[in-house]
Amino acid sequence: MKININDYAQVTRRQNLDELLLLADRLQGKTVKMVNSTSVGGGVAEMLHRTVPLYNQLGLKVKWDVIKGGGDFFNITKAFHNALHGTKVEITKEMFEDFQETNAQNAKELIFDEDIIVIHDPQPLPLIARKKEGNAKWVWRCHIDTANPDVMLWEYLKQFIVQYDASIYSSPSFAKELPIAQYLIYPAIDPFADKNRNLSQSEIDAVLRKYEIPTDKPIITQVSRFDYLKDPIGVYEAYKLVKQYADCRFVYAGGTASDDPESNKVLAELQERVGHDPNFHILLLPPFADLEVNALQRASTIVLQKSLREGFGLTVTEALWKKKPVVATAVGGIPLQVIHNLTGLLAHSVEGVAYQIRYLLNNPAAAERMGQYGHEHVREKFLITRKIRNYLLMFIALQHQGESIISL
Amino acid sequence: MEKSDNISSMNAVVPFKFYTSSLLVEITGRRASDLPAFLAILREVDVSSVFYHVHHTFREYSFAPGQYSNDFARWVSEELEEIGLGEKLSSVNIKEVTDLETLRQTLIRIIEKHLAEHPDSRKALPGREFYFLRNTGIVIPTKYESRTIEEFAADLKLVGMRSIYYHFFDARLRLGHKTNDFSNWIRSNFNDEALAGKIEALDPYFMTLDQMRDKIISLCLPKRKTDNSFWKHFEKVLKIK
Repeated sequence: MKININDYAQVTRRQNLDELLLLADRLQGKTVKMVNSTSVGGGVAEMLHRTVPLYNQLGLKVKWDVIKGGGDFFNITKAFHNALHGTKVEITKEMFEDFQETNAQNAKELIFDEDIIVIHDPQPLPLIARKKEGNAKWVWRCHIDTANPDVMLWEYLKQFIVQYDASIYSSPSFAKELPIAQYLIYPAIDPFADKNRNLSQSEIDAVLRKYEIPTDKPIITQVSRFDYLKDPIGVYEAYKLVKQYADCRFVYAGGTASDDPESNKVLAELQERVGHDPNFHILLLPPFADLEVNALQRASTIVLQKSLREGFGLTVTEALWKKKPVVATAVGGIPLQVIHNLTGLLAHSVEGVAYQIRYLLNNPAAAERMGQYGHEHVREKFLITRKIRNYLLMFIALQHQGESIISL
Repeated sequence: MEKSDNISSMNAVVPFKFYTSSLLVEITGRRASDLPAFLAILREVDVSSVFYHVHHTFREYSFAPGQYSNDFARWVSEELEEIGLGEKLSSVNIKEVTDLETLRQTLIRIIEKHLAEHPDSRKALPGREFYFLRNTGIVIPTKYESRTIEEFAADLKLVGMRSIYYHFFDARLRLGHKTNDFSNWIRSNFNDEALAGKIEALDPYFMTLDQMRDKIISLCLPKRKTDNSFWKHFEKVLKIK
């Protein structure tokens, strides 16, 4: 389905859309190039596929280029990715050389004649070498959790980052003290994507049938990778506590990732722990199971996110958008979304999670109210239109660097 | 008949021009994990950071008023468990503040007093530190311009909440005295002190911007709230816009 920017009037306030058009008016004809390292797979490519056509409908001229690299290059950048997340990885001098060499090759082939260049993630970071040739403003968009990066790698990357005019992060904790502007732009969901669009009851039922989940009891669902940091064992422990008081089903649904060898181990551990409990469903979802995730969230009475650590927690955003009461641990970006007792309930332990689930099961009116407020909260703060708005503001601010109030 | 009824179709000398203001949020990179560190940064941080953390809550909750009126109060209450201090910070009357440096000094005095009485301050858990943000404000005129109180009420219904915020809250800092653009316009164009005063007296702490918008509309159009014929006319005005 081809989405038009005006379609968002169905899901956001008309006034917010009007303001978006007002900002876009000030940027008519502005040329922008987005650069990342893949056109398919991963959150960045997914978001660019959805946002680039919308910017163009708004009157900007936005192009999207993808850098080329061989297997070695992507192994190196994967190692960088892990090290930026704080994992101990050996990084050699040769890796740095290969990284720069591939970028130098790409820099030769790409044309940078736009007004604004946005470089996504570390892979194409050294393209900044081309900045001196023109007057374009260069922005680095960091999508990674860099709260505790490998220090040596960060220092290496910093030499490129500081040459940019500005940088963007998804959380305040990911930024450092840098001599360039560091903007905060929260992630967002697209209400028209398969993961979030409205589903018919028959679409939901089909998914429940496929995964053999009866609807005879309240369903409590966590959608997460099989990862220790998502605490699947903690979810099971919470289930056992809730079960002492209330008859319900728990669903833990996730995929395994080929680049994450640990996920099979975590899955096996959970399966062993649960055994053959007919009320605790472990679902192994295939890749690109957006519609399934959507249906499972919509079929749930309560959505759970018992993470031990979390970047932003877009699964929480998705659940709130679907008006689901959410119980979640107060980690990472979750408290920005779940305001305790207003848009959901926060907990800090297995016991706390179980207690809050029991509360919601016994108080459907409170659960419904939180679901409603959660939906409104996402509508104002975490939809794709807000994200586009932030980018437009940044594009304007780049033309007025150093001004704290810009009157147009 | 109240004065506001008489003025509803009078023409203003200067029309009310609605603006909208947007915030682009910037991360300063500065963070505090306990109260003394927080206080030290608060003393020297860019004043736009104080503005952001105290005011943005008012802009954002359209569906329900938040529990805390500002980020500082939320952090000391939830992360440091200094509930009493949180209550005091939440109660700082921003309607009394017409410049940000005074606001900063008021906050500093409250925290200093608390630290003197409770020197054993708790530390926030890793990841729950206070991150100081600041903002760039981008102000753009909208297409809405009102010449009469009726038009003004209709426009209020149509503009985004960022406009309501800009003219009600931001105005205080811009104009440097305790009023807002709406009251200022009504006073200088219609000489209606009663209506201007009623709008100034609204308590923003326990209202969403939507509720405030509706409250101002009903103040502008007294006795007409339940009058169907008026609402038909009002709908017409809205359509023309």
